[in-house]
Amino acid sequence: MPTFLYLARRVLQAVVVILIVTVVVFCLLHALPGGPARGILGPQATAQQIAEFNRQQGLDEPLPVQYLYYLRTLLHGDLGTSYTLNEPVAQLIEQRLPKTLVLTVLSAVVALLIAIPLGMWQAVRRNKPVDYVVTTLSFVAYSTPVYFLGLILVLVFSQLLPWLPAQAPQGDTLAQVFADPAGLVLPVVAGAASMIAVFSRYMRAATLENLSEDYVRTARAGGSRRNALLWRHVFRNSLTPVVAMLGYYVPVLFGGALVVEQLFNYPGMGLLFWSSAQSSDYPVLLGCVLVISIATVVGTLIADVVQRIIDPRVKAGRA
Amino acid sequence: MTAIGHSPGAAPEPILELDGLDVTFGTETGDVPAVRGVSLHVRPGETLALVGESGSGKSTVALAAIGLLPGNARATGRASVAGTDVVTAPESVLAGLRGRTVSMVFQEPATALDPLTRIGAQIAEVVRNHRSVTAREAHRTAVGLLRRVGIPDPERRASDFPFELSGGQRQRVVIAMAIANDPDLLIADEPTTALDVTVQAEILDLLRGLAAETGTGVLLVTHNMGVVADFADRVAVMLQGEIVETGPVEDVLLRPVHAYTRRLLAAVPRLTVAEQPPGQAAPALDGSGSGSGGSGSDSGQEDGPRSAPASTSAPAAATAPADEPATDVPAVDSPVVDLRDVRVVFGRGARAVRALDGVSLAVRAGETVGLVGESGSGKSTAARVALGLIRPTGGTVALFGSELRRTRARDRHALRSGIGVVLQDPVASLDARMSVAECVAEPLRVHRRGMPAKERQELVAGVLERVRLPRAFARRAPRELSGGQRQRVSLARALVLEPRLLVADEPTSALDVSVQETVLEVITELQGELGFACLFVSHDLAVVQHFAERVVVMRDGRVEEEGSTAATLLRPTTDYTRRLLAAVPVPDPVLQRRRRTERRAALAADGSGAGA
Repeated sequence: MPTFLYLARRVLQAVVVILIVTVVVFCLLHALPGGPARGILGPQATAQQIAEFNRQQGLDEPLPVQYLYYLRTLLHGDLGTSYTLNEPVAQLIEQRLPKTLVLTVLSAVVALLIAIPLGMWQAVRRNKPVDYVVTTLSFVAYSTPVYFLGLILVLVFSQLLPWLPAQAPQGDTLAQVFADPAGLVLPVVAGAASMIAVFSRYMRAATLENLSEDYVRTARAGGSRRNALLWRHVFRNSLTPVVAMLGYYVPVLFGGALVVEQLFNYPGMGLLFWSSAQSSDYPVLLGCVLVISIATVVGTLIADVVQRIIDPRVKAGRA
Repeated sequence: MTAIGHSPGAAPEPILELDGLDVTFGTETGDVPAVRGVSLHVRPGETLALVGESGSGKSTVALAAIGLLPGNARATGRASVAGTDVVTAPESVLAGLRGRTVSMVFQEPATALDPLTRIGAQIAEVVRNHRSVTAREAHRTAVGLLRRVGIPDPERRASDFPFELSGGQRQRVVIAMAIANDPDLLIADEPTTALDVTVQAEILDLLRGLAAETGTGVLLVTHNMGVVADFADRVAVMLQGEIVETGPVEDVLLRPVHAYTRRLLAAVPRLTVAEQPPGQAAPALDGSGSGSGGSGSDSGQEDGPRSAPASTSAPAAATAPADEPATDVPAVDSPVVDLRDVRVVFGRGARAVRALDGVSLAVRAGETVGLVGESGSGKSTAARVALGLIRPTGGTVALFGSELRRTRARDRHALRSGIGVVLQDPVASLDARMSVAECVAEPLRVHRRGMPAKERQELVAGVLERVRLPRAFARRAPRELSGGQRQRVSLARALVLEPRLLVADEPTSALDVSVQETVLEVITELQGELGFACLFVSHDLAVVQHFAERVVVMRDGRVEEEGSTAATLLRPTTDYTRRLLAAVPVPDPVLQRRRRTERRAALAADGSGAGA
């Protein structure tokens, strides 16, 4: 299929997926008991005041009608206004998203740069001591909760050894964030740890599988040496399953950011999501979910496109 | 300690010399010896064929000779390639040797190439492994090699990926990689086993030509005696890791000394060919006319026309059509399965593939119909339509007299209980998590739901006995059985409902010849007892000639030619069938040499045989 057609179709699919996500989230949120009025008006509010608030905000309308209202404003680029912060949701997200993106993208890049060579190295040294040691460490890293790992990191590298700051860079602009690179180290490491563990496992398995493929034997029979085999053939072939996983990993990254941002006091999307969930701030919650689902869909799309680039069979519809 | 004597034909010194080679595989259950004390040699310009059945260790010898044994293998003894002992040489020395002094062609062209690298680049890599040339020069060399192995339009094809090539073309690319640096020794491990006969003939011609051009020594590993007769100068026969007989090809194939070699050759189904064109052909005709009477049950048979009485017990002989009839006797019973003008289209739009295009075929009770053709000819699709697994796009399918399209789902289900199926892969077609008894009993659970367990067990035990498996096998797992035994379990499962139709899709293609012989014998015998019709799909014309009474030749989704096996395979009326038959190598070096010359002459005459 021509690339343009393919992309057009995929983008259309993505829009549909995102719409479905908003419907599901919208319904789920409104199914929750309580509702925002109590939170905003305080415990002293009378039933009458609450009813008045609900009427003002349109919360007494039937759910489908509320959803259509929401969708209509959404199409005008308006995500609504936060109940608690009294700011437009779009503006809140605009402030916070870049910071979260810096954190997650950096974590992902660092994780992949470590995990991919690590997995290949393990595969080559399969069942040797290094392989066992790295495997053990992977399981430890994977099974340690992020908040616990973060605390340990702070304790060791900030309290016991005064090497790194315990706080992420403060300030709202990206320039301020990048002005303090040392402050990013611990949050990025905390965010990357489990991803390194997961992706090195994938890469190890994929490399092992490819090393036993016939084409490796053919290349060896032609006199290719091990490094050429690994980097020219096995690496690319092993990359395809890993790239496919990457798209699905986007929500996990955002989930990790939620904890890391709390821990290192780094006000991004994660903190925003957390606090709005606490106070039933529907417009903000919906906005956050929308952003995360777009990020996920875009992530999968990018993963698929990258796969098309790596593997010509995908483009030809043969794989 | 690099290779010596790079100039081809420098001396009659062997290019490969194995001396007391032992290979042992370390497995979880202990050491398994695979090769024991093998000694052989290959001189420049000569081809040594290493033959034997699966598990004989022939491929292990080939891998040992190029130092590519898997990690759990241990080799001892000496394997010297151009003076370097491959057994003891370090990996760096071996890498210098591979692709330059010794190279290898593998069995499976579908997986032998890196799927993500352009074929030109893969060939260029081998060039650059051993020559310090620029990337551009290497690419130009690769294009030249592609031209040399007969890939049309090599400049353009060099930038193709392997999936864009057919199986035969991929094998040509693998060969191009193997000859990239004009090696002194070429090891070919079943180079044509995965290919159609016509493509096989082309690939063998190609290898023969290349070896003759450069004086390369060839170690050919194969189980196909026809290929041996076609290609080899000398033969070494392996049995359980040891060489039991070595000698010139004519001696070993025509006057075998060792009892095993004789047995092996006797089990090879031979294609009976019209000797001197029309005159002499007649006597061979009735030989295969009684094909239903046990193929190869006469194990002492030599080449040449088979005589009818040798194959006895022709049980279905009463209904077996002699040549023309089909009208006088079985007018009463309508065909068991009847495909009329069946069309099958896969996909739609520009990518739609016409798998079947107006195919009509019928199988009558007690009769065996062979369905032959090259891969992609639609023979398996036709079999699947007969099974009701593929709904045809057009045409009608009648099973046991009722048309499938007009029957209700429940009746169709009942009709299906009258069909048994045996498929090609003996490993994949049995559920590894079931015992043999459970596998065989499965059709009973589906179609005879109310049957008491006791009765079911009896039936299973009975049918196992019928396929000549001991009752005790019932409790075993399929993986504990050999390929031939597993295929007999499949057969038992197919026959447990006493079907009226048996569909066998390449049932013996994955088996050794001796095992193939018993499996076919069992089928024939049971057909005599139970009288089922058999639709036998196979690419092996020799097997079909022995086994089927009628044959349907397919090509590109159409029936090219059909008729009684005796007539059609001996005196084909279409060029396609003739070409197909001419491409089958017969295990007689003298006869094969003549056939090869004739085939070449025929191809040259109509000039239509180019391209794989």
